[in-house]
Amino acid sequence: MKRSLIILIFLSSNIFSLLEIEIIKGSDNLSKVAFVPFGIEENVNENYGEQISTLIEKNMLLFGEFENLDKAEMLSFPDSEEDFYYRDWKIMGVDYSVIGKINSVNALGNLNISYSLFNINRRIKILEGEIVGRENNIEGIAKIISNRIYEKITGLKGIFDTKLAYIVNSDAETYQMCISDIDGKNEQILFTSAAPIMSPDWSPDRKKIAYVSFENGLAEIFIQDLASGERESIQALGMTNSAPVWSPDGKSLALVVSFSGNPDIFSYSINNKRLVRLTNHYGIDTEPSWSPDSKKIIFTSDRSGSPQLYEINTQSKRKKRLTRDGNYNARGRYFPDGKSIFFVHGNDGNFQIATKKLSSRFIETLTSTSLDESPTISPNGNIIIYATKDGSKGYLGGITLDGKSRFSLPVKNGSVREPAWSPLFN
Amino acid sequence: MNKILTSLNTFALILLFLSFVFSVFSITTLKVDETQSIKVNFYELIEIAEQPKRLSGTKPKESIQEADLNKVEENSEVKKSLDFEKYKLNKPDIKRELSKIKLSKEREVILKISAIIQDKISSVWIKPNSLSKVLAAKVLINLAPSGEVINFEMVEPSNDKVFDESVLIAINKISFFEEVLGLDRKLFESNFRNFKLVFKSSGEIE
Repeated sequence: MKRSLIILIFLSSNIFSLLEIEIIKGSDNLSKVAFVPFGIEENVNENYGEQISTLIEKNMLLFGEFENLDKAEMLSFPDSEEDFYYRDWKIMGVDYSVIGKINSVNALGNLNISYSLFNINRRIKILEGEIVGRENNIEGIAKIISNRIYEKITGLKGIFDTKLAYIVNSDAETYQMCISDIDGKNEQILFTSAAPIMSPDWSPDRKKIAYVSFENGLAEIFIQDLASGERESIQALGMTNSAPVWSPDGKSLALVVSFSGNPDIFSYSINNKRLVRLTNHYGIDTEPSWSPDSKKIIFTSDRSGSPQLYEINTQSKRKKRLTRDGNYNARGRYFPDGKSIFFVHGNDGNFQIATKKLSSRFIETLTSTSLDESPTISPNGNIIIYATKDGSKGYLGGITLDGKSRFSLPVKNGSVREPAWSPLFN
Repeated sequence: MNKILTSLNTFALILLFLSFVFSVFSITTLKVDETQSIKVNFYELIEIAEQPKRLSGTKPKESIQEADLNKVEENSEVKKSLDFEKYKLNKPDIKRELSKIKLSKEREVILKISAIIQDKISSVWIKPNSLSKVLAAKVLINLAPSGEVINFEMVEPSNDKVFDESVLIAINKISFFEEVLGLDRKLFESNFRNFKLVFKSSGEIE
C-alpha cells in the first residue's frame, strides 16, 4: 500500500511538472483583413457593393491598426457563406475576411445589407449581421458595420462614429473652434474669434462643448450647444476661469479659477451653479481632469518646485502625488478604465506623450516627436491623438497604445491645436 | 578558607584545561569532516574509484598522492575498513555528479528548444490591447515526434474572451515545431511530447 502510494505521488508530480514555456511578447505584425466587395441583387445600384466595402476598409485602416489585402490579390469575391472557401484566404495570409451583400432597396430608398466576418485561422464565422439604412446614408451604415467588425476582432468598442474637437489658428487674428468626424470629414466651425480660444472639452452626452475664449479680454469659459449654436458664459466669480473639463456623470465641470493671480482647482456644479474649492495652495494648480468614476481629479501643480501630477479625491479632498520621474509632468488624463494615466513628459527640452500605470512606478514615453502637447485618448482606450509641431505649424499626430502604428491627421489651413476626442454615443 | 579557595582554584583550572582539550579535539574532528565533505572533488573521486585498493588514506586530499598512498597501505586493518566505508559513501556521489552533468546538458537542449518555440509563437501572436488587465492563459500542446502539432487544448483560459481567442489564433497558425526533430527520443517524450504554453499579458502598456 505504502509503495503504491509513493508511486502515485511520483506519477502525479511528473504530470504537474510538464514543461511550461512563457510567451510574453507579441508579434509586431498587424492582423490582415480582406474586405471583399459586397455583392448586389439585381435591382440595386451596382456601385453600392464596392462603395460600402471600400468605406468599411477605409474606416478600419484609419488608425493603422490593421493591414488589408489588396483587391487585385483576392482569389475570389464571395458574397455568401456557400461561396466562401477558407483556403483562398489562408493562402494569402489573411486573418479575417469581411463579406456582404446588398439584398434589396425598397421604395423609400432603404437598403437591406447583410454582412459576415470570418476568422480564417480558426476557420469559423465570428459575426453575422443585417442592417437597414437609407440609400443616402451609406457612410453612416458603413460606420456601424465597421464598429461591429472592430469590436468583434479587438474586443474594444468601435470608434468610427466618434468626433474630434480642435482649435484652428489660421493667422494671428483668426481662431476657430471646430469639430469634425474622426476621419476628418464633415468639419463644422462652431465659433470664430479674433482672440485666442483654448481647451475644448465635450459634454458626456456629446451635445455641448465647453471651451475658454479671450474675446472679452480675459479668460472666460463658454458652454456651446451644438444643435442650436447657443453660447453661455459661466464666468464663475468675475475672475479668470480656465481649463474646463466635464465630469463623466455630466453634473459638474472641473475648472481653474485664479484669485489674485493664484490658480486653484474648483468644481462647478452645472445645475445649481455652485463653485466648490478643491485645492488651496500658493503654487499653481491647473489642468484638471476627472477619473472615469467622477470621484477623483488629476491636476498639474508646481507645489514641489516643478510641474508634477497630483490626484485629489473630490469628497475627502485627500491629495496624492502621482509622478516623480523628471522635472516636467503635466496635463494628465486618466485612461477610460481609470487604472493608468497619460500626460506630457518633459525631458531635456523634449516634450513627449507618456503613460503610467497608477500601480506602477515606471513611466513609458509613447511618442518620438519633441514638442507634443494636449494628448486626448479614444473612448476605447486604444489610440492617443496629440498636437505637435512641424516648424511653427501645428498639426495632429496619433499613435496606437501598442506603438505599432503612428499616423498624422490630414493637414488643415493653419495650425491645429488642442484636440479633444468625443465620448462614444450612448 | 585558603585551602578551599586553592582547591576550588585548581578545580577550576582543571575544568578549564579539560574544556580546552575537549574543544581542541572537537575542532579537529569537525575539521576533518569538513575537509572531507568540502574538498572531495568530483575528479578526485573518479580517480579514487579507479584505484579502490590503494585507497586507505586518512584524508581524501592525501589519497591522490601516490607516495602517501603507499605509505598508508601499510597501516592497520581497522583504518582500512573505516576508509573503505568512506569510499562506499562516496559512490552515490559520483553517480549524482554524473547525472548532474547529464542533466545540465539536457537542460541546455531543453532551454534552447524552448527559446526557439517561444520566438516562433511570439512572431505570430497578435497580442490584443487588454488595457490594464493582468491576464494569463495556458495551452497544452501535444506533439508527434515529427514535430507536428497533433492536438492542443486551452487548459486554463484567462477570463478575457479576446485574449483567449488571440492565443488560439496564434497556435492555429503553427502546425509544426520542427525544432524537436533531431531530439533524443527519451528527451522528446519526457519534455516535448506534451508541454504547456503560458501566454501572459502584464497589464503594462507596451
